[in-house]
Amino acid sequence: MDADVRQMTWTELAAVCTNLEKACTKQLRGEEATTFAKLASFYESRREPQADAKIEELVALIDADLAEGYPSANEAAQAAEDRGSKRALLWGEKATKLLKSLLVRYEKQGAKLTEETGVFVCEICGFVYVGSAPPEVCPICKVPAFKIHPVRKEAI
Amino acid sequence: MHAVRNLRLCTKDCVCLFICPTGATNTETGQIDFDKCLDGCRLCVDACPSGAIYLVSSTYPKPQTTEDAVAERLFALANSKAAQEDLARSIAHGSDDPALRQICKVVEMSSRIIAEDLWRESGYIIAQSDAAEQLVEAMLAEYGAEEGFPVEAVQAFLNGRR
Repeated sequence: MDADVRQMTWTELAAVCTNLEKACTKQLRGEEATTFAKLASFYESRREPQADAKIEELVALIDADLAEGYPSANEAAQAAEDRGSKRALLWGEKATKLLKSLLVRYEKQGAKLTEETGVFVCEICGFVYVGSAPPEVCPICKVPAFKIHPVRKEAI
Repeated sequence: MHAVRNLRLCTKDCVCLFICPTGATNTETGQIDFDKCLDGCRLCVDACPSGAIYLVSSTYPKPQTTEDAVAERLFALANSKAAQEDLARSIAHGSDDPALRQICKVVEMSSRIIAEDLWRESGYIIAQSDAAEQLVEAMLAEYGAEEGFPVEAVQAFLNGRR
């Protein structure tokens, strides 16, 4: 089953392209990686921020993934004995739960949540960590800590 | 198929310099000279005491296929992750609070990484897959005439495949 370009959002198109950019980089095909990076930038440049976006909307989408999206996909992957998809779903579901927890904690604590501590994201699986230093090995995908990066506050 | 040095693992024992018949492993950048490297030779790969050299293939097999029922659900999740990235970006755009913007950046990054992985498992794992090739062709057909679309690079990519 192929994706339909005409039905994909700008960010979906960008995400397929950044994924292929990473694959080309790992194959040391620099020119092709650059082509996919350019495609991703083209689609990202088309995006318009939505006015009055709220954290609650974001949490609602995450809740829907956890309540329906992941269970339904897991069931299909299980029926197809598709271990690759099961792996991606397992990692993605865990990272999604951490994103929900991050947003819920931010809603309660506000800026205090990250006032005296760092926030980190694993570049492989999307694992999120709030603390002073990331774990030595990613608890979701088991990659070493050098692939878990700090996300800093920007001065405005 | 040429050899590549993983600079994070290399312990500079230089056995690759001793064994390479063409001098490809001896460069000022620390990386192997791919043009000098002999296709599939692998003497340095086997000789390296720290396991820091590996071979990169020039051809790849077609990836495993994903069943439609699975792919459909992976697409749906990837679509939701993209919507979450967009929302986080919009929230950050409408705020001047550095802490909120930091949280939004985390959500954007993580959602993108999760989405990329879903695409990977639904047939788009490498650019050599039929699905990826057809997607790029469709992108060119649909958006090729628009300003900013990298037409030449995309055509060069597709020509390289034929």
